[in-house]
Amino acid sequence: MLLDYDRMGWLKIALLGFTALVAAFLLLPVVFIVLLSFGSSRWLAFPPPGWTLKWYQELFADPSWLEAALTSARIATMSAILAVVIGLLASFALVRGQFRGREILRGLLLTPMVLPVVVFAIAIYAFFLRMGLGGTTIGFVIAHTVLALPFAIIPIATALEGFDKSIEDAAIVCGASPLEAKLRITLPSIRIGIFSAAIFAFLASWDEVVVAIFMASPTLQTLPVKIWGSLRSDLSPVIAAASSLLVGLTLALMVVTALLRRKFQR
Amino acid sequence: MTQPFLSIRNLRKAFGAITAVHDVTLDIPKGQFLTFLGPSGSGKSTTLYAIAGFQDPSSGDVQLEGKSLLAIPSHKRKIGMVFQRYTLFPHLTVAENIAFPLRVRRRPEAEVKKKVGDMLALVRLESFAARLPGALSGGQQQRVALARALAYDPPILLMDEPLSALDKKLREEIQAEIRRIHRETGVTILYVTHDQEEALHLSDRIALFRDGRIEQIGTGEDLYLRPATDFVAGFIGNSNFLAAEHLETVGGAATVRLADGSLVSGVNANGSLAPGQKTRLMIRPEALRLDRGPKTVELVVDIIDVAFYGERRRIVARTSTGQEIDIRPTFSATASHDVAPSQRQVFFDPSAAFLFPA
Repeated sequence: MLLDYDRMGWLKIALLGFTALVAAFLLLPVVFIVLLSFGSSRWLAFPPPGWTLKWYQELFADPSWLEAALTSARIATMSAILAVVIGLLASFALVRGQFRGREILRGLLLTPMVLPVVVFAIAIYAFFLRMGLGGTTIGFVIAHTVLALPFAIIPIATALEGFDKSIEDAAIVCGASPLEAKLRITLPSIRIGIFSAAIFAFLASWDEVVVAIFMASPTLQTLPVKIWGSLRSDLSPVIAAASSLLVGLTLALMVVTALLRRKFQR
Repeated sequence: MTQPFLSIRNLRKAFGAITAVHDVTLDIPKGQFLTFLGPSGSGKSTTLYAIAGFQDPSSGDVQLEGKSLLAIPSHKRKIGMVFQRYTLFPHLTVAENIAFPLRVRRRPEAEVKKKVGDMLALVRLESFAARLPGALSGGQQQRVALARALAYDPPILLMDEPLSALDKKLREEIQAEIRRIHRETGVTILYVTHDQEEALHLSDRIALFRDGRIEQIGTGEDLYLRPATDFVAGFIGNSNFLAAEHLETVGGAATVRLADGSLVSGVNANGSLAPGQKTRLMIRPEALRLDRGPKTVELVVDIIDVAFYGERRRIVARTSTGQEIDIRPTFSATASHDVAPSQRQVFFDPSAAFLFPA
């Protein structure tokens, strides 16, 4: 190979250093937030003069934080379920279907991933105001489902592409109806893809802030919206604590996904 | 004549402008092992898929005991099928795979258990019941697939090149298993392969496909010993084709003049041949011998190479017109086995030679 890592000599060190810098650049802000959430300084001074859990106490004592977290979880769960169901049906069409405009449909379904979020947010905000869906849970869920859909379709379609259709045909010759064959054989065979889709779709909604700001109302706030709102009124370490929890859950879900993948793939 | 068990009537299948199957008509008696043999693209798999219900024929009919199957969807056709690729359900154990067709039919659990045991015994994989397909070899997977296909006692078993992914030794081993299972269960088997040895080894009857039509149908011996066309002769077994001019045919026995000018009488003629017509004379390598026999004629050759293959010798010779021929004399107690360096002729019985239009 032209660029063989083992033969790069001193370049190896430079490359390692560069990679470390990039990783630090990406991760350090998160590490600082987490550290600050345990720091005793009200003004987020670093290094913290002492260590404390009082910001977490304050966080859990305030019912509006808990409510925001529950709202986030509820909307993320519903969006994930919808995105997986729609993503599953769409994947069958994209992978198995042979029709004109299939590639266009694929592109269309994946646009929410590349479209500037703020453009999408304004468009759907204006549309939902007209439909009377602004500030409602349903509106929120629909908006987030659209955003989550690409994250559901990609792993499911990939899994379905890797699944030999002859296996489904075999189930049909065995006497299963085409639907039964899909439910009993195909879906369990691509369950890693479906599971990943659910996690990614959940996370796409869970930590989404731009569309959420447009969808939110004073009575309907997700955790990222609440963090954003609080950040503008006062800079309190409670926000750092809330952010840490947000990051914590995301990390936990990613780890679970990775572990399950490894287990299934053996 | 009694009603045939499975009957294919004037089956035709076109994909757009391409016609994969032209006009296939065929009756299969109950319990027969029939093989669709042919090169790839000859229409054998398409015909099988029409029987399975995966492809609707453009015209024609498939009938089981006199009733058309075409309106019946695949999952209600009561067929078992083993595919070319490994199609075990990856998330189910071997036993659950075999139980699947029974569970789909909501058979009582006691029956399912007993049948799974019987089937595992049939393919001799009793100790693998709890394994997942991923932990089995290719040959074992195909045996489980066979057990699964037979689990609910379908009257017809379809097999689409089930051994093509396996190596030669394993293939022969499983061929023996399939023969035994056919004997023990009496199921009617339609088997697709492009491997003529496999077809000869397994089948009661072979339908040789070419370009979407059946070129010849008969037992392996029919096709080997009495090929109807030069395509059949060339596809089944090994053969030498010598250019010949047809002189006359009397009662199915023809007289020809070979390229070196020699005359041979008493060869089998197929179809009607005109005097003077250009033809090809087919002689199997093992019909050529090194010594003169009671009814043999001789062929003048130069012997180029002699190779020893254990059970037989393979000799390459060249005729006076420069054509290479393949000779595989069978060892026998009376025949001479040695090739003298000076030997200039080989011999054959004209009744073992076949004449086809060129």
